[in-house]
Amino acid sequence: MSKLNDAKVKYDNIEIPEELNFVVQKAIKEANPMKKNTRKKINPVQKFGIGAAAAALLFTGSVNISPAFAQSMANIPVLNSIIKVITIDELTDGNDNSQAKISTPKITGLENKELEQTLNAKYEQENAKLYLQFQKDMAAIKEQGGGHLGVDSGYTILTDTDALLSISRYTVETQASSYETLHNDTIDKKNELLITLPSLFKDNAYISSISAYIKVEMHKQMAADDSKSYFIAGEEEVDGGFDKISPNQNFSITKDHELIIYFNEYDVAPGSMGTVQFKIPTSIIQKDLISNYYIK
Amino acid sequence: MTKEEKYKLVEAFILENQQSYYRLAFSYVKNKEDALDIIQESIMKALKSIDYIEQTEYIKTWFYRIMINTSIDYINRNKRTIVAPDDILDFHLPNQENKLHDLDLYDAIDHLPIPYKTIIILRFFEDMKIDDIAVTLGENSNTIKTRLYTALRKLRIELKKDVDA
Repeated sequence: MSKLNDAKVKYDNIEIPEELNFVVQKAIKEANPMKKNTRKKINPVQKFGIGAAAAALLFTGSVNISPAFAQSMANIPVLNSIIKVITIDELTDGNDNSQAKISTPKITGLENKELEQTLNAKYEQENAKLYLQFQKDMAAIKEQGGGHLGVDSGYTILTDTDALLSISRYTVETQASSYETLHNDTIDKKNELLITLPSLFKDNAYISSISAYIKVEMHKQMAADDSKSYFIAGEEEVDGGFDKISPNQNFSITKDHELIIYFNEYDVAPGSMGTVQFKIPTSIIQKDLISNYYIK
Repeated sequence: MTKEEKYKLVEAFILENQQSYYRLAFSYVKNKEDALDIIQESIMKALKSIDYIEQTEYIKTWFYRIMINTSIDYINRNKRTIVAPDDILDFHLPNQENKLHDLDLYDAIDHLPIPYKTIIILRFFEDMKIDDIAVTLGENSNTIKTRLYTALRKLRIELKKDVDA
């Protein structure tokens, strides 16, 4: 029996990584659609009211605004265009162990004020929510006896030409290991329209065209490089994994008018692969496109 | 029990036992990243199929079952994880009783084929009862007992205590 006990001791000594708890919590949070729903059901008005008030407070006063605040107000130059993206709010908060850095983009100069406001309101709201969540997580971690936590949210301009503006907002949540999500918006600057993925195509056929291409590309990449790995549905008895893109899959358009499809971390690949993107050759989707105005 | 209560229960259970789950996953794949991926995937699967669980006393076995299936799937689809094939096992184990004293039992368990390894881990490392293992693996108790004895024979362990049922 003693040998077996020795083996058990060895088993019990398998090192538990720091990030386990984070991965577990994250997975629970993501897999549980109930949470949001039930909360909303309980008291939507009150919830929204408090949330909005708290967010407004946080954004205006109570946080320690980065010393570089003035600097961050500086415009990001956009050539030959009055449509601009500026950083309206950059807030930092935290202590030695936990940091939040959240920059909110704001689009200005659009004549279509409705579109401008809708986008800007969305950016502000989402970042306010992110900040509240950070505060909550930080409190929870403190209760458990301390730990590290980081939130870094900002944006990058993917494409900015006379005709198009693609903004990618990213959020990286870190607790030993990190989790990154992306939200892209692409704007037609000439016609002042928010471009959605379905609006580029004649019908839903693009979903299968693009999905089929991505699957082939996944296989190709995995065959060429051992370190790459994707989850593909319906293969080797895998549950879940990539089956097809969603109609509104995250995307952007490059300055060369090519379509890029994005996936968040863990969506179609192990976390070690990070966020994943695929450039879709125009020839693959040519027959589905409404026109070659945006995609060439 | 409402769905929400079920969620809370399962959530609490997963949080409480996360270290056990991690060890189990780790013992299949032998590296941190893959083990964490398995944990993540198992939790997603479990919470999405929460409707299938009817009695709370089965949460433990139910989740273990998902974990084990996920691990095996994971091993199958990631070929870089090397599962000890029988020839390695043959090399290490049978007909070499003299050498056995030098062989680390933990490593030997590691090299067992997955079904045997799973049973040894659940029975001795996770301290599960035979009946619970049977429920977890969807086999009947006698099959599990037979498999456990086979596993032990493979390991050539002289157990002083009887394996209780």
